[in-house]
Amino acid sequence: MSEAVIRPAGDSALLVEFENEISLEVNSRVRALKYTLEQSPFEGMGELVPAYRSLLIGYDPLRIRMKAAQEEIRSRLGHMDKVSLPKAVVTEIPVCYDKEYAVDLEHIAQLEHTTEEEVIRIHSQSDYFVYMLGFAPGHPYTARFENPFSFKRMENPRLKIPGGSIVVQLALSDIIPFDQPCGWNIIGSTPVLACDYRKENPFLLKAGQWIHHRPVSKEEYLDIKKQVEAGTYVCRTWEKED
Amino acid sequence: MAIVVLSPGILTSVQDGGRLGYQQYGVSPSGPMDAHAFRTANILVGNDPDEAGLEMTVMGAELTFTDAAVVAITGADMGATLNGTRTDMYRALCIQAGDVLKLGFAMSGCRSYLAVRGGIGTDPVMGSRATMLGKNFGGYKGRKLQKDDVLEIRPCSNKFTHPETYFTDPETVPAGVRTLRVVMGPQEDRFTEQGIRTFLSSEYTVGQDFDRQGYRLEGEKIEHKTDSNIISDGVVTGSIQVPGTGLPIVMTAERATVGGYTKIATVITADLPLIGQCKAGDRIRFQEVSVETAQDLLKQEADRLEELRKLVEDPSHLPEEKTPAFEEAAPVPEHEFEYTKDVTISINGKAYEVTIQKWK
Repeated sequence: MSEAVIRPAGDSALLVEFENEISLEVNSRVRALKYTLEQSPFEGMGELVPAYRSLLIGYDPLRIRMKAAQEEIRSRLGHMDKVSLPKAVVTEIPVCYDKEYAVDLEHIAQLEHTTEEEVIRIHSQSDYFVYMLGFAPGHPYTARFENPFSFKRMENPRLKIPGGSIVVQLALSDIIPFDQPCGWNIIGSTPVLACDYRKENPFLLKAGQWIHHRPVSKEEYLDIKKQVEAGTYVCRTWEKED
Repeated sequence: MAIVVLSPGILTSVQDGGRLGYQQYGVSPSGPMDAHAFRTANILVGNDPDEAGLEMTVMGAELTFTDAAVVAITGADMGATLNGTRTDMYRALCIQAGDVLKLGFAMSGCRSYLAVRGGIGTDPVMGSRATMLGKNFGGYKGRKLQKDDVLEIRPCSNKFTHPETYFTDPETVPAGVRTLRVVMGPQEDRFTEQGIRTFLSSEYTVGQDFDRQGYRLEGEKIEHKTDSNIISDGVVTGSIQVPGTGLPIVMTAERATVGGYTKIATVITADLPLIGQCKAGDRIRFQEVSVETAQDLLKQEADRLEELRKLVEDPSHLPEEKTPAFEEAAPVPEHEFEYTKDVTISINGKAYEVTIQKWK
């Protein structure tokens, strides 16, 4: 394990970088530092933005200067191995793989030289880790750790895909919260909202947790959608086994 | 109490101090592009500096008021008129029911701010009234203002006795090349020495692609050591991304929260208002400063606003209103002039009778 590097990101934030790779091990250090800072914030600390291998730590320079903030962070980095993170949560995401929504399912099966059923099985059997949120409010960057697909993004991105789309490439799978352009293949759609501004906490997911896709029929999809619109649907969650 | 939009201008939106605390969920802070002008306007009407007001871009709005109100206009000079008469910026203006306030094209700079005593009362989203135009939420229905929109004004209870005495020296948006001071990094080590030299010594021009998310600059290409990709990490307002094109992009209020391009430097917080007042064709240079210097400059900015706030809260500290030092000219026989004209001009809200005479 190499030592973390602390770099200034302007006059109001410090970026703490761990090893330069995307892995659960490296990301667990990001989570441990974030958790430590949340448990014992330093005077003047601002927002924390976790990413794959780094944590951006905002601070108010009118309340704490850079050198002092660096010291606060260094002292917490020194105590990180003693931190036991709380058990991660798994959130169940209902996904309809019906052709009406899974517009690229047939194409994906062709690319993988297998059946559509097998593609659905691969996509829905694993837990996916949420590395971070970004791009759009509530948009999770998630990955599974087995059976990656062989294809990457499409050559011609679509100018607009509907919110709720589940898009995939390699071992990655993202939930698209709102209509947007996208160059990934669409494997299905979820009726739940990754971001719902009507709620006090609009976000379904958080960096560092897991998700699991549960295949649902079109009937169930439409039924859940109604409940989501009424604000009554709650996704099932459970603790992740180690 | 409400503001009614008669004409929205090019891009007018409700903004407050910004939406803080949600970047880890992918929500950028939004808020004003020129926080200095924005806060100054709020202070002049006796508001909290981060209260919700209007940001107008390039061409301002025409507004009317259902009741008496106190407003202040700051930032870019858009030739504001009140009921057709030119009115001052950088001072509290007393508005009567039915008055029409109109802002036109920006003569200098890009963005003007209108603060109204009490603040604008849209429903907060995640604790903020800032409009996130790129994602269609916050502010007034998540969008820029349109004709006939009605913006509620919130009641205000703090003491505020003689609004007409609240003013500060008008600030002009600098012309010519703007120098933006930067703190290097966090990925300056991904650029060659030549690349860093190019960045710090050449002049860049704001291209057509500039908005509340970011400013794409045109000029000399900045050389990377290998490539422009990084494992995505957190972005701040002022981050200067350099993608594969070698041309810098300054990330502003509605920027992404994470990004996968190398960031050569970060514009210091005290200089962010300068970029918010730039528009296409404006020229920019970058100058490196230390984090310590940047933080000293930010402290000075905070102190300046605090001084102004104290003056407004206790007008007895106000200096006597400056009266222009016009001395009465000795009467000159008329035949020595080609023509003589009497006009009325308004300075700091006071009318002055002036005689213009042209020598023969």
